[in-house]
Amino acid sequence: MYGNTGEILLVDLSSETLERKKVPEEYYHNYIGGAGLAARLFWDWGDFKAQPLDPGSLLIFMNGPFAGIRLSGCSRGSVAGRSPLTGHWGDSSCGGHFAPELRFAGFDGIVIRGQSHRPCAIVIEPENLRILPADEWWGLGVFETTSRIRAKFGKRAKSLAIGQAGENLVDYACIVNDNHHAFGRAGYGAVMGSKRLKAIIVKSFEQNYHAADPEGLDQLRRSIDLKIRESVTSQVLHENGTAANLEGGVHTGDVPIKNFRSSFWEEMAEALTGSTLSEKYLKNKAACAFCKIACKRVVEINEGPFAIPKGPGPEYETIAAFGSMLGSMDLAATCKAGRLCNDYGMDTITAGSTIAWAMEAFEKSALTLEDTNGLPLKWGDMKTVVDILLPQIAFRNGKLGGLLSLGSHKASLQINKGSGEYLTTSKGLEAPMHDPRGGGHGLALTYSISHRGACHTANPMLFMEMGACYYPEIGFEYELEPMSEENKAESALLAVQLGAIENSSCYCQFADREITIPEWVDLFNFSAGYNWTIENMMSAGLRVFYLQRLLNFRFGLTADDDSISMRLLEPAVDGAPEGVPVEFDSMKKRFYQLARLDEIKGIPDRATLDSLGMSVEASYVWN
Amino acid sequence: MEYWKDQHEPITAFLKLFEKAKEDPELSEGLKKVNQLIWFDYTEDGSDCSFHVDCRNGQVVAKQGKPSEEPDLIMSLSADDAHRSWSNKLNPVMAITRKKIRVKGSATGLLKLAPKLKKVALIYEQALNELNFLDKILK
Repeated sequence: MYGNTGEILLVDLSSETLERKKVPEEYYHNYIGGAGLAARLFWDWGDFKAQPLDPGSLLIFMNGPFAGIRLSGCSRGSVAGRSPLTGHWGDSSCGGHFAPELRFAGFDGIVIRGQSHRPCAIVIEPENLRILPADEWWGLGVFETTSRIRAKFGKRAKSLAIGQAGENLVDYACIVNDNHHAFGRAGYGAVMGSKRLKAIIVKSFEQNYHAADPEGLDQLRRSIDLKIRESVTSQVLHENGTAANLEGGVHTGDVPIKNFRSSFWEEMAEALTGSTLSEKYLKNKAACAFCKIACKRVVEINEGPFAIPKGPGPEYETIAAFGSMLGSMDLAATCKAGRLCNDYGMDTITAGSTIAWAMEAFEKSALTLEDTNGLPLKWGDMKTVVDILLPQIAFRNGKLGGLLSLGSHKASLQINKGSGEYLTTSKGLEAPMHDPRGGGHGLALTYSISHRGACHTANPMLFMEMGACYYPEIGFEYELEPMSEENKAESALLAVQLGAIENSSCYCQFADREITIPEWVDLFNFSAGYNWTIENMMSAGLRVFYLQRLLNFRFGLTADDDSISMRLLEPAVDGAPEGVPVEFDSMKKRFYQLARLDEIKGIPDRATLDSLGMSVEASYVWN
Repeated sequence: MEYWKDQHEPITAFLKLFEKAKEDPELSEGLKKVNQLIWFDYTEDGSDCSFHVDCRNGQVVAKQGKPSEEPDLIMSLSADDAHRSWSNKLNPVMAITRKKIRVKGSATGLLKLAPKLKKVALIYEQALNELNFLDKILK
């Protein structure tokens, strides 16, 4: 097998066994790798009755076929399983250094089931696979855990670790690689915590990648890498990070303010934008493995209430989630909040959004001082967020910490009192910091149809609407107007296929904008030897999209669940999108027709599944 | 060219735009924050069809032609697309993606200007009016 190793590591923590397992070669051709292959393996091996935090649940880490290639953007990995936050199928992606190291150690993925009787860590070294007790790390934050891992296994060892939030089963706990990179969304840190798995450590001895066409791949890799390095996007990201265009986003109405209640705040735009972060706190730039963009920030704040030592800095999502969303323009506070979330191991998007929801609930008396143990929740009060709320959530301390550790959706169901009106979710997952009303109406559609819930990285719709995509070979030549429904369903159908390809090959959405469709096909063929045409590749993307929907159907989701909070659809009250309605229902109806989705079940019809070689899967959902 | 009768017309219009932008406090401040030497290269429509803006050191100076110093940023496009762009009728991200605009150098400074494109378009319209280029105003 080329590119992929063809092997995964199957770990049963209950019986403390580790087993090398071959994956059928056709699975790679049909489901690509990463998120797609994880979905396929769950379909085969998963227990659909197991709750996300049950010992019987599966936690699946999966590489894409490009992991290990010396090319910007292709060193990401996926984690997948039944999400503790949403209760249905989900996955999350992470950059950093773990995925290539796992490939070099001989594995495409790790499938974990069971529950250890004590805190443990999985150690993967070639010819030395083992489960170690990790009692001495339990209770530590991610930074100290990673530091001890490095002390024990050497600096070359790459790790995934959970912090206290994962141990305490916070529903949106994340998994952190090397302190700086996170499988952020949907709560897989809690799944690790439920299995008493504190960390996974991998260390290879040699960096081999067996390409199908080494010469072709090398030539293509160099040419794509050069394009990525020289692109305007890369340069902007390199200079000012992923928040480089936050200021511009405020002016288009893309950046949510005070729980998506406002769409414009000029003063905040300049205070929080990437260039301000560079001027005030940036110490270094950092990168994922082999990436020339280096969009990651390393920051230091020397004084004030939010002082932090030199270390990982916030990305756009964190800055907006702990800045504009909470009515704050204190950039230092976003850095500190992000740093705490990295250490506790919590998703910053859900954490910020859940606190924003709570602030609105408090303002409107759905939450009272009795619920908050006497703590007033006020917009912009970042001292309370940083010093009290985040620790309370991570440790599930008190009534309020316990409530907010559930995420906004479940917290709202718990308190009721009309607080569902303040939600900004789809399928139980908090929307990222891109407001569909200003950022693009197509986002409302793609947030709602995403298998994992409201997510901007599930597919490239955000980039399509801003004008950063042009794929004439597959019919994407639309000049989309963000605040309109025109051609959005048509674009979304391509977006879900491209998103499945991105997330299954585990490619970074920023870097891969420079890759043309024919280059994508060549990358798969030269690396993994899939021998695809453009049509084969797009079919694989569609197959993955459909399989993820079939999984969700088996978890009980239907077409009605392809919905989104009203807050994200109601006309904005200010800024660029003021008063413009989002025609959600007509976009969804059109998408369902184009994607041949059943309007009740929300899954593709039998003939469509048959045409993609999914007849067996169809028999599970169509009688 | 769709909008211009010769290569000098667009440069006249664009220099007028910058002359007026300097008089607007908000745009003038915005331009100073760009803090770069930018060459707007429209030479695909004629060898004299370009101008540069020096926003460094707290000043804004716009002149015809290529700058004598190495520019921090070069924006290469057609004079027609430049006209659409200053009229806020061209999505710059889309234009870059589709290679209508070629960018060399750091575009970070220009991001500071992006939110002000609507205002730039208003002033550009005034500039075209003053030059009696009424037929060129895009509605």
